[in-house]
Amino acid sequence: MPAAPRLHELQQGFAAAVLGHGDDVAAWIDGAGLDPAARLRIYRNAVAATLEAALHDTFPTVHALVGEDFFDAMAARYRQRHPSTCGNLQSFGGALPGFIEAMPQARSLGYLADIARLDWLRQLTVLAPDATPADAHAAADAAAVEPRQLHLRLHPSLHLLHSRWAVLTLWRWCQSPVGPAPRPDRGGESVLLWRDGGEVVMAAVDPATFRCIDVLAAGGDVAAAHRAAMDLDAAFDLQPCLRDLLVQGLVVAFNNQEGCT
Amino acid sequence: MSCLLPHAQHPIPAAAGIGLRAPHIARVLQERPRVPWFEVHSENYFAAGGPMHAALERIRADYPLSLHGVGLSLGSADALDVAHLGRLRQLVDRYQPALVSDHICWGAIGGIHLNDLLPLPYTWEALDLVVSRVQQVQDALGREFLVENVSSYLNFRHADMPESAFVAELVRRSGCGLLLDVNNVYVNSVNHGFDPGEYLRAMPHASVREIHLAGFLRKDRLPVPLLIDSHSRPVADEVWALYREALELCGPQPTLIEWDQDIPELEVLLAEAARAEEELHACRTAIA
Repeated sequence: MPAAPRLHELQQGFAAAVLGHGDDVAAWIDGAGLDPAARLRIYRNAVAATLEAALHDTFPTVHALVGEDFFDAMAARYRQRHPSTCGNLQSFGGALPGFIEAMPQARSLGYLADIARLDWLRQLTVLAPDATPADAHAAADAAAVEPRQLHLRLHPSLHLLHSRWAVLTLWRWCQSPVGPAPRPDRGGESVLLWRDGGEVVMAAVDPATFRCIDVLAAGGDVAAAHRAAMDLDAAFDLQPCLRDLLVQGLVVAFNNQEGCT
Repeated sequence: MSCLLPHAQHPIPAAAGIGLRAPHIARVLQERPRVPWFEVHSENYFAAGGPMHAALERIRADYPLSLHGVGLSLGSADALDVAHLGRLRQLVDRYQPALVSDHICWGAIGGIHLNDLLPLPYTWEALDLVVSRVQQVQDALGREFLVENVSSYLNFRHADMPESAFVAELVRRSGCGLLLDVNNVYVNSVNHGFDPGEYLRAMPHASVREIHLAGFLRKDRLPVPLLIDSHSRPVADEVWALYREALELCGPQPTLIEWDQDIPELEVLLAEAARAEEELHACRTAIA
């Protein structure tokens, strides 16, 4: 019998067994009437169930679209390829959209990765920091600033997703699948997500508006955002876009004013 | 049941609370049931903002609160995850809970998290490590931390001591409090064939700050008896009996009903808490 393992070695061996990479650690387990490997399997199954349940909770629309068997098989492969790296399960699953994109079994479901992205962004939106919207005085002051020098700090819950598929229409249909499913290839959708009173709000916007907000969210100035939007649509009108952001409480601060809480 | 000044010193009473889980939050906010205190899983509130925090702020205003972690991985041979500890500290600063706890276990190694409460070998090496970790946590939080005995499905051949000695020595040497999970004691007594009463008698009774109760599942068709700590059922009669023994040894303690899978209606949890309350009442009466 070799010398008893140090804690680090034992835990590495235990983790390997739980992840399905060999049961060498079983030599150090007291079977007490059971095969030590059977005792290890209790943990392997529990760990798998926890991680797969976390994916199930975070990606309910992917689950609804592909069904139980496909989802379970995908979740099992995903957790093996992308083990959890955080003690908080809310962080588990961020790489699933890219994983779906690379799955041969999902090749005929091109829209599935973007549905996964939308599910994931909904979670990020729910968990984002709170922030107090900028008030009317701040907006009035900002109106006097040169657009080239004006930056907007947008609400931390605001997320954007541009898809070549009708991702929001399909997502909504999945919540109450009445009537025929919408064709995912009926045209791309540009989606904004944010939190309003604790609820996630999603809205499809035109591509130019999306581009404008995308540039602002990335820290670009208002003039640059305007130009980027005009490149897509020469008739793009900046004012309604900014007004909507303000009305929805999505502007937290202008330039470097304090605003985040 | 509301308190006027919810602050850190507002203690958790020696009464039966329930673990607050997502399906019940809306009802608790709306109906304000007569529950003496609530416990939540710390990690569920690690995000910076959002509706979960809005709800917990309101609940905290009216009920004493305990924060119970599942992800600190106190017994990992790797260094403690300081980012995780930092988020816990932020949460403690924000809510000023009456109790803060996690488990005597490990859950991560080499950057991979298994997100489970995995058993430690009860060796001197592991004991030294967990003692230092608990001290690190108490220093970081600036307050007493509670550790909970876990359920387990295996023992390591190279253990230096029984689980009860490990738990008692950990509490004695680190100066932390003990969250005594009576269901876990019972589950392990069946799974590993020891006397649960002897385990309870070996505990440092003066350090017990909280007791957990939950339901288990019995695995059939195995050559040996095996219980799974599923938190999916009512507390078993054997565990109620052991709870009475624990109260006799430790005196009335804040007691929590935990239910994490197949979560039933709130009334079921309230009924379990009422039964624990009867036991607590009997214990108080016996002392008086």
